[in-house]
Amino acid sequence: MSRRAYLIGGLSLAAVVAGAVSVNAQLVTNKDLSLAMATTIAQTAIQTCKAQGYAVSAHVLGRNGEVLVSMRGDDTAPHTLENSFKKAYTSRAQRIPSGKFAENVKGNPNAGALHLTNMMPAQGALPIMIGEDVIGAVGVSGAPGGDKDEACAKTGIDKVAADLK
Amino acid sequence: MSKVTLGIAGVSLVSALALGFTATADAQLLTHKDLSLAVATTIAQGAIDACKAQGYNVSAHVVGREGQVIVALRNEKAGLATYENSMKKAYTARTLRMPSGQFANNVKGNPTAGQLYLTNITPAQGALPIMIGNDTVGAIGISGAPGGDKDEACAKVGIDKVAAQLK
Repeated sequence: MSRRAYLIGGLSLAAVVAGAVSVNAQLVTNKDLSLAMATTIAQTAIQTCKAQGYAVSAHVLGRNGEVLVSMRGDDTAPHTLENSFKKAYTSRAQRIPSGKFAENVKGNPNAGALHLTNMMPAQGALPIMIGEDVIGAVGVSGAPGGDKDEACAKTGIDKVAADLK
Repeated sequence: MSKVTLGIAGVSLVSALALGFTATADAQLLTHKDLSLAVATTIAQGAIDACKAQGYNVSAHVVGREGQVIVALRNEKAGLATYENSMKKAYTARTLRMPSGQFANNVKGNPTAGQLYLTNITPAQGALPIMIGNDTVGAIGISGAPGGDKDEACAKVGIDKVAAQLK
């Protein structure tokens, strides 16, 4: 082969190898919530509700549904801590607001997702996104109405919106 | 009625009221102070920050009077087990009303101590009870530093931050 042919062959081989290896074997790169951000989200949500006269508890979960922050609000009912966790887990797992999930399964008690551990068809949690990537969720419980829980959750996310990129 | 009679009647009334108090001594409701979320958060963050300043990444739990979790903070840079461990240490310190390290000392060489078979009891240093006088109102547990003594020192910093409010 001419030198040119070798060169072309080499380039092709390099392209194939590089392509094949990097697509299948490269590591996944993720951005994740820091504890500081998660704390800000939870505290802001609780304080927003408190300012409206609602005592709530909050959870912020990470990418794998793990608890990053858990906060029991003053004067809240005992179940609110669990409920805020389950709402958040649902929102993270389904990648949608837990209220949207509740709507989706309305009238369908046999929906498979309802039978998974920690799934909760109740409004009050929102996924935390970087673009289309769901990196966690915040769940709130204790306000008189899931819509109010969700509104407080949103202020928590809004507080760190500039850093979610 | 004479003025004297009225006076006696008045004294009797006061006695009756006093008896009333006696009657309520057994039945009156308990009054106690509890940690607020704000105080609990200050303790937990104070401890995490103290450890961070020393180069240690730790997770923290603050539990309340009934051992219930008030604040749980998972440090993303700390080991996976630190989250659970900080809860168990805190629970141990709360329920036994002593530093979890003290409990660890107490059961050293006694692996069949009954308390070791209760849920969430761990014989590991790193948690301190949160006290108002002699009343244990909760506990803080830390895990992640290289040594329970260092965890405990950070826990103490957290409590010290709110010492003025613990009364």
